Amino acid sequence: MNTIALHAARGAVVELRGIHKTYRLGQHVVPALRGVDLAVQPGEMLALTGPSGSGKSTLLNLCGLIDAPDQGEILLRGQPVHQLNETASTLLRRDALGFVFQSFNLVPVMTVTENVDYPLFLAGVPAPERKRRVAEALERVGLGEHAKHRPDALSGGQRQRVAIARALIKRPSLVIADEPTASLDSHTADQVLDLMRECCHADGAAFVIATHDDRLTRRCDRVVRLLDGVIEETQIPQRNIA
Amino acid sequence: MKWLKFAWLNTLRNRRRSLVTLSIAALGTAAILLAGGFALYTYQGLEQSSARTTGHLIVGNPEQFTKDEDVPLQHGLDNVAALRQQLLADPAVRHVLPRVEFSGLISNGDKSTVMVAAGIDPDSEFAVKGPFLQMTAGDVLAGKSTAMVMLGEGLARSLKAKPGTSLTLLASTTEGALNAMDVTVKGVFSTGIPDIDKRLVYTDIETAQKLLVTQRVSTLGVFLRNMDDVAPAQARIAAALPKLTVQTWLDQATFYKSVKALYNRIFGALGLIIGVIVVFVVTNAMAMAIIERTREIGTLRAMGTLPGQLLRTLALEGMVLGGGGAIVGGLVALGISVFLLVVPVQMPPPPGRSTGYPLQVAIDPSMYVATLAAMVVLAMLASAWIARKTVHRPIVDALAHV
Repeated sequence: MNTIALHAARGAVVELRGIHKTYRLGQHVVPALRGVDLAVQPGEMLALTGPSGSGKSTLLNLCGLIDAPDQGEILLRGQPVHQLNETASTLLRRDALGFVFQSFNLVPVMTVTENVDYPLFLAGVPAPERKRRVAEALERVGLGEHAKHRPDALSGGQRQRVAIARALIKRPSLVIADEPTASLDSHTADQVLDLMRECCHADGAAFVIATHDDRLTRRCDRVVRLLDGVIEETQIPQRNIA
Repeated sequence: MKWLKFAWLNTLRNRRRSLVTLSIAALGTAAILLAGGFALYTYQGLEQSSARTTGHLIVGNPEQFTKDEDVPLQHGLDNVAALRQQLLADPAVRHVLPRVEFSGLISNGDKSTVMVAAGIDPDSEFAVKGPFLQMTAGDVLAGKSTAMVMLGEGLARSLKAKPGTSLTLLASTTEGALNAMDVTVKGVFSTGIPDIDKRLVYTDIETAQKLLVTQRVSTLGVFLRNMDDVAPAQARIAAALPKLTVQTWLDQATFYKSVKALYNRIFGALGLIIGVIVVFVVTNAMAMAIIERTREIGTLRAMGTLPGQLLRTLALEGMVLGGGGAIVGGLVALGISVFLLVVPVQMPPPPGRSTGYPLQVAIDPSMYVATLAAMVVLAMLASAWIARKTVHRPIVDALAHV
């Protein structure tokens, strides 16, 4: 890997400027992020790495608009979003962001179809269009035959593919993925990575992925390593350097 | 519709817990409806009984209702026939029954005892009121049976009287003198209230007037075609007879009013307790469900679900549990009510009475609708209340919930 300069912010899907974030643990104030600047480009697959407590989950939450910084700015598609109220940030997440979780976080009482359909339903997409898009998404992730199954009838890899289909169904600008391969065996993890990469390139969605998985970081366009709340280094995996 | 389906599916996650919650809601609803139905049946019965005893409206001189009499019929009505015709001209009026109320002594020659007597128009009285007395011996009074009396069961026993026995009535006349009259027992009856049966005597109105040496009557009982006619008929008659007072049956139904006040408090408190229990059970079930699903709620919030949308689906979940239970409870109550109509169950006599009564439960659609709606609303509000903190919890915290 080679260390490179921070990507240019111009045209970034999400941009973080001078982000500070602290947590209070009892009497102690723990700094989680200390002046982080980061920009993620459309179609980019960016990995956040670092040891536990380095701030990568905090950074991921801030990119996903499910947490707010103490200081600094967050811009999504060029618009400042760090001071939005709860409703506005919820609607922005609904329309522009997708989430993939380590433990899949599918709704167990919903079928595969209903899980994937949920973001479209939230967005108020008409039923016929939802049906078509869900069917396409499930075919794309290879789960067309499992459409009526519930998550507990699927393997871990299948569940994560459902989660990816759910994250991408509304064609988001940015997908936030928290350790998406951590619960999967290596073969399944490879399949999920292939799928994420394919979706990233095909849909133009940017992925921000928190991970400890070296196989995953090698396939990303850029790797940002955090240490003690600051970006220690930014690297481009060698295979991505022309 | 999708939210409702989601709520329904959520109730199926822990079926045993949902079944217990639903069952308690059903039992609570059934208990409220059965208790309420019983109270309502009692009210309806007492309303009919009260109106049948006095008439829907009671017409008399104002002093009759406000002052004690120095001599019998001091405040009685004159020109009864004309007054009766005037009242019968009202389209809502079915019958007008004169009544002479007095007290005195009744004697068999060896023993005298106090009596409370009513002079009635026998043919009209029994035609209008139907079988309101239980005859234990002899017959009811008939139109031309002057100098005849009907005795309460206890009074007949005290005087060792039976149909055909000669007795003497003693009472003060309207002038204050003592008068006596020989009468024959026509029948013996029971009102179902032993204390009344020890004193009550019915005789025809002519006999009563002859004993009291007067042409007056105490009051006129006005019987209407319909209970709903009471208020408008009262207004019309009061306007037509400005010198007289027109009371409704309710004004004189002290027993009805005291029973209703007592039952309202008893069954109201019972309903409140049951409602609180149901709300607590639903709340507890929802609290457990919400704690278990905290991470899922965080996930749904992260995906763009508004807190209000989550509150709605969780309230709908409460509605499914509370409303489902209420519907089942309503059906149970309906089934028991119908069963009691088909297979009568006799209750033992209440305190102070000698006869039992059929256990029946009124089926009142408005009470069913109100109870079911209350259950649904309470369950929804309880669920929303218990969910409000979780749906507003920071998403990061919710996602980290274990």
